[in-house]
Amino acid sequence: MVRGSLFLALSLALSSAPAFAEIARVKSSSGNAIVQRGASHVPATTGLALQPGDWLVTGKDGRISLTFIDNSRFAIGPNSRVAVSKFEYDRTRQQGSFVTRVDRGSLAVVSGKIAKSGRDAMQVRTPNSLLGVRGTRFIVEVPK
Amino acid sequence: MRSHGFAICLFFVLTGCAHSSLVLLPDEDGGHGQVAILESGGKAGETVVGEANSRATLGGSQPAIRPLGAGGLKPNEALLVSELPPPAKSFTLYFLEGTTEMTPESLPVLDELRAEIAKRSGAEVQVTGHTDTVGNEVDNDALSQRRAEEILNLLASRGFDRSIMSAVGRGERELKAPTDDNVSSPVNRRVEVIVR
Repeated sequence: MVRGSLFLALSLALSSAPAFAEIARVKSSSGNAIVQRGASHVPATTGLALQPGDWLVTGKDGRISLTFIDNSRFAIGPNSRVAVSKFEYDRTRQQGSFVTRVDRGSLAVVSGKIAKSGRDAMQVRTPNSLLGVRGTRFIVEVPK
Repeated sequence: MRSHGFAICLFFVLTGCAHSSLVLLPDEDGGHGQVAILESGGKAGETVVGEANSRATLGGSQPAIRPLGAGGLKPNEALLVSELPPPAKSFTLYFLEGTTEMTPESLPVLDELRAEIAKRSGAEVQVTGHTDTVGNEVDNDALSQRRAEEILNLLASRGFDRSIMSAVGRGERELKAPTDDNVSSPVNRRVEVIVR
């Protein structure tokens, strides 16, 4: 009985925590493609929910595509290391701020509601530059 | 030997592949936005890339911007763009006032919704409540949130996967038919279901 309710409490905690913080979902992936969350490494499988701070890492044959809850969309190419460093979004007001870091590799972006919510509310950082996204579709490439 | 080395240098200069780069593309609807280079090579500034189909080389203190030219995107870039997920799609449901009973016109929309979710990999669904302009903003935010949750439960009871759905109240911020304040409008009292 005690074990049963403990299990229930645990599964509730596990199921409610990611749902609360979900910022994006993996739409497709292939090859060597993982999500790094703190010390954990999980395969970037279709339907996986992302959280702020997650790193998306692909090997030489790896690819990941995902859609965020503000309608922003990403496609990540091979040999990439990309982090969603910051994602804050008020879904009622459709305002927020979104910072992506591209350490290496390639990233195609279609921006969503956050980019529309304020000047440079969406930014992309590479090792040697900072970009302010003003509502558009673009590619960032960072060679090794 | 020497000319070989020169050819490699020229290749790098022409393609810019030794540097980070930004390619601005046309939007899917034909227009295009802008990307501002706010920092490059440790130097703050603001260089706006405002022409679609242009490539900017990043990292120098003066970013270089040039048109993509006749060659267009490199094959790996074109492949990357083709892998972007499809845009979100929105469906609108209407209910008999004060009930969770759908209007006859909305019933077939449910089937379209089911089909759209089924054809997307990793689908995620946002059930969004909208009110008309009767009442104040705070009340309408709460009302639309409750409405969204109610309809989420209704969809779940009809076999839609609860784990991919979330409820959002937009209050009176997004009127389908713009009205003055405090105007009762059945067209504005609706639930929008966004499939990503």
